[in-house]
Amino acid sequence: MNAILARLSGQLQDGQLLDGFQAERWAICERVPKAVVFPENEDQVAELLSIANEEGWHCVPCGRGTWLRGGSEPRGVDLVLALSRMNTLLAHEPDDLYFEAEAGLGLDSLHGRVSEHGQWLPIDPPGDARGSVGAMVSLGCAGPLRAGFGTPRDHVLGATIVTGDGRLLRLGGKVVKNVAGFDLLKLMAGSWGTLGVITKVTARLHPLPEVDRTLLFKCRDATECTALASLIICAPVLLAAVEVLIPGDREEGQSDSTPLVAVRVLESAAAVSQAENVVTEQAGTPPFRCLEGEESRAIFANVQRMEEGAELVLRLSLLPSRLPELAMMAQELVDLCDPDVGGGARLAGHAPSGILRVIISRLDRREGGLDRALAVLERLRLSLEAESGSLVISEGPQDVVGPLGAWGDVGSAAALMAGLQREFDPGAILSQGRLGP
Amino acid sequence: MQSSLPKALGNDLRRVVGDDWVLTEPDRLLAYESDGLTAYRMLPGAVVLPKDTDEVSRVLRLLSEAGVTVVPRGAGTGLSGGALAGADSVMIGTARMKRIIKVDPVNRLALVQPGVVNADLSAAAAPFDLYYAPDPSSQSACTLGGNVAENSGGPHCLKYGVTSRYVTGLTVVTYDGDVLRLGGFGRELGSYDLVGVFVGSEGCFGIATEIEIRLLPRPEAVRTILGIFDRIEDAGRAVTAIMAAGLLPAALEIIDGPTIRAVEASVFAGGYPTDAEAALVVEFDGLETGLTTDVERAIVKCREEGARDIRAAKTPEERLALWQGRKKAFGAMGRIASDLLVQDATVPRSRLPEVLGRISDIGRRYDLTIANVFHAGDGNLHPNILFDRGDADQMERVERASKEIMTTCVEAGGTITGEHGVGIDKRDYMTLVYGDDELEAMRGVKSVFDPMGGMNPGKVLPDPPSS
Repeated sequence: MNAILARLSGQLQDGQLLDGFQAERWAICERVPKAVVFPENEDQVAELLSIANEEGWHCVPCGRGTWLRGGSEPRGVDLVLALSRMNTLLAHEPDDLYFEAEAGLGLDSLHGRVSEHGQWLPIDPPGDARGSVGAMVSLGCAGPLRAGFGTPRDHVLGATIVTGDGRLLRLGGKVVKNVAGFDLLKLMAGSWGTLGVITKVTARLHPLPEVDRTLLFKCRDATECTALASLIICAPVLLAAVEVLIPGDREEGQSDSTPLVAVRVLESAAAVSQAENVVTEQAGTPPFRCLEGEESRAIFANVQRMEEGAELVLRLSLLPSRLPELAMMAQELVDLCDPDVGGGARLAGHAPSGILRVIISRLDRREGGLDRALAVLERLRLSLEAESGSLVISEGPQDVVGPLGAWGDVGSAAALMAGLQREFDPGAILSQGRLGP
Repeated sequence: MQSSLPKALGNDLRRVVGDDWVLTEPDRLLAYESDGLTAYRMLPGAVVLPKDTDEVSRVLRLLSEAGVTVVPRGAGTGLSGGALAGADSVMIGTARMKRIIKVDPVNRLALVQPGVVNADLSAAAAPFDLYYAPDPSSQSACTLGGNVAENSGGPHCLKYGVTSRYVTGLTVVTYDGDVLRLGGFGRELGSYDLVGVFVGSEGCFGIATEIEIRLLPRPEAVRTILGIFDRIEDAGRAVTAIMAAGLLPAALEIIDGPTIRAVEASVFAGGYPTDAEAALVVEFDGLETGLTTDVERAIVKCREEGARDIRAAKTPEERLALWQGRKKAFGAMGRIASDLLVQDATVPRSRLPEVLGRISDIGRRYDLTIANVFHAGDGNLHPNILFDRGDADQMERVERASKEIMTTCVEAGGTITGEHGVGIDKRDYMTLVYGDDELEAMRGVKSVFDPMGGMNPGKVLPDPPSS
C-alpha cells in the first residue's frame, strides 16, 4: 500500500480511495496520481487538504474527470481529489432564476432538472456535457454561447471554496447584484484549482428561449467563411453564437465537409423572423438551411464534441475583426497533421470572441515532425502575443505541452498571480503550475 | 486648517503634473470634502490631478515613497463614502483624464481614460449605433473610472448585467507606481481574472488609468409601460411573476407611494396618481416585432397581481414621462427632507413583497419616513430614509433602522449592497454577510495588490479583530 493510502485509509470509507491501475483513468496531463480520493462533503475536502499540507502532497482537484488533459503539466500529482460524489442539486429556485449545487453535479443532470421549469444554464463548454458544474467554473470553460451569454464568471453568484490550507470560504451569495467586498469569485472562476477547491456553486439561470434556430451559411473555403463571419458579427442584433466550422481536408465527401458559418438565434417566437432577416441582410446572402429546435441544439452539441479524440487542440485569438488573418495563420498548423491518420485538422471559431480553435487529430511525427511542430507553435504564439493575441494549447500530448506550456506569456499578471497563490495556498500544494507562465 | 502636505513633496508633485493641478488651499479642497453620501465630510490633505498613466505612476511613486496614503476619486457621485480622504491623505482625481482614446465599432470596443463621463461614452458610440449598457442614475455625471471602482449598476442591468460584464481590459497603476496591463479583449491569458477582481475594488487596489470597454448594438426598439398598484406587495409579486414567466425586461423598477407623492409635489411631476401605493415601470427592448407580445404578457401579469391601471407610452415623450417618477425621485425627495440616507441592500426577488412589508414596519417602529424606489427585477432595494441631521434623536433612530433593514435583507438571503459599494458607510456591516475567514481572505487579496496598504485606507473592510 502506498504512503498516501496508508495515511488516509483510517479517515475514509471503503471505495473512497483508488490507486494503482484504477488511478490511471484520473491521470492529469498524462501523469497518473499516486492516489485518487472521492470526498463526500466540504469538511472532508478541508480535512484532506490539511493532511496534504502536513505531508507536502501535491493535489489536483477535479470533478467527474472530463477535462483532465487541459492546462500545463502540474508540478506534482500525488493526490487527485475527485468531487464526483458531491453531486447534489441543493436548491433550484425557478422564481429567482438560480440554482445551488455541489460542485460535482454534472451539467447534464443540472440541465435535466432545471429544464423541467423552462430554464437553462447557457454555457456550452467543449466536451460531452457530463462535465461538472464546479470544474466548468474552475476552468472557466465556455463554448460558442459565450458570445451571447458570457463565460462562467458572468453566471456565478456564489461559491464555497476550500483553500489550499483547508480554510472554508463562502463567497458571494445568491443575488444577481452584490458588491459587498472584493469580488473573489472572479478570481476563482478560471483559476484551474490553483487557489482552492470549489465545493459548491450558486449560479444564475436563464429562461429557455421560445425558439432555438440556427442559420447555416455555406462557404467555398476558410477565407470566405471567416470573411462572412466577420460581417455577420457586426449585425445590429444580439446573437447567441456565431461559429465558423471548417472541416479538415480529408473530410471531404463526408456529409459535414462544407465550410459553414452557423448563426444561433435564440428569440421569442414573435421576434425570430426579424432576427433572421437582420442576419441575412448583414450576410448579403440567405442561409442555405435553417435548423430549428432539436436540430439546432444538435448541431451545437456536435460543436461541443468536436475536440473528442483529437491529439492536439489549440485556441488562437486576436480581435474578432482579425478572424480571417487567424484562419490564414492556422493554415501552417493544419500542415502539422499526420497525412495518413485521422481526419486532418478542423477549424472552429467563436467569431464574436475572436477565438479560433484548431483541432488536429494526429500530429505528424515523422522526420522531425515534432520539432517542426514545436518551432511552428512557438513562432506563432510569439507573433500572436506581439499583436495582443494568444495561443493556448487547450489539449495536447506532453511532448508538446511540456516544452511550450499551455498558456504562453501572462504579461504583468505574473507577480500578482504568485502573490495570490501564496495567499490562498501557502503550502503550494494545489495544482501547482497548471495555470500561468 | 492648513494642508498637511510637506512642502517638498508638494513641489515634487507640481513638477510632475504642473502647478495648477496640485490643490492645497482649503477653499479649493472644499469641493472634495464628500462624495454623494454627504453625511460624511472631511478635507483631504491635497488633491492632485494628473493627466495620464505616466503622471499617475510618477505621482503614486512620490506619494508611496513618502508614505502618504492615497484616495482615488472620479466625479464624486458615489453613495458610500468611498472617495473620502483625511488630512493625512492625498486625493488623486481623474478630472483631467477625460479622453475617449478610441472607439472601435467593428470589434465593439472602446478605450477610455477613467475620467470620461458614463453618458459621454454612449454619445461617442452613437454614430456607430453602439452604446455602453450600464446606466447608473448618475450617468450624466459619474465617470467610468468610478464605475469600475464601484462595479456600478443601473436600471438596465437587469437584462444586460453590471459594469464587470463590460470591462475587458485595464491599465492599472498600483500604489508603488507600477503600471500593470491586465486582460484585453481578443486574448486568452493563462492567468486569473485580474480585471474581474479589480472591478469593484473601490480604489483599494490601485488606480485604473485606461479602461477597455465592450459596447453593445443599440436595441432597435423600446417599449415602456407603467403599472399602478394599490399595494406595494402586489407590485413586488408582479415583478416575480413577469420574470418567472420567462420574460426578460430591460428594466423593472418600483416607485412606492411616498416617493410618488414627493415627485408629484415637485417640479418633476410626471402625472402619477398620488393615491397609488406603487408604480411599476416595465421596459422591454430589442427587435420591434418581439416587443408587442412581451408587453402584452407583462400587462397580463400586472393585472393578475392586482394592478388597477396600466399606462403604455406611445411616444418617446410619453416614455420619458413614465420614467420621470423613477429618475427624479432623489431630486424630489431632497425637497421634502433636509437629509436622505439611501440604502442599497439586495434580496432574491421572490422575497420582495415580504421584505418590503418588513421595511415599512421598521419605518413605523422608528417613526421614520422611508421611501422606496428601486431596481425590483434585480431585487436591489433602495429604501431612502428621510431625516434631519440637526435632530440627534432622529439620527440615532436612522442608524438603528438602517442596520435593521440590512439585517432583514441578509436574513432573506440577500446582501448589504448591490451597487453602491461598501466604502466607509457599510464597512461595519460586512460582518453581517462574511465571517472572519472571508474578510481575512479579502485583506489578503488587497495586500497582494497593495502590500504597503496605501490605497484608500479604511474603506470596504472592517478593522481586523484585535488579537
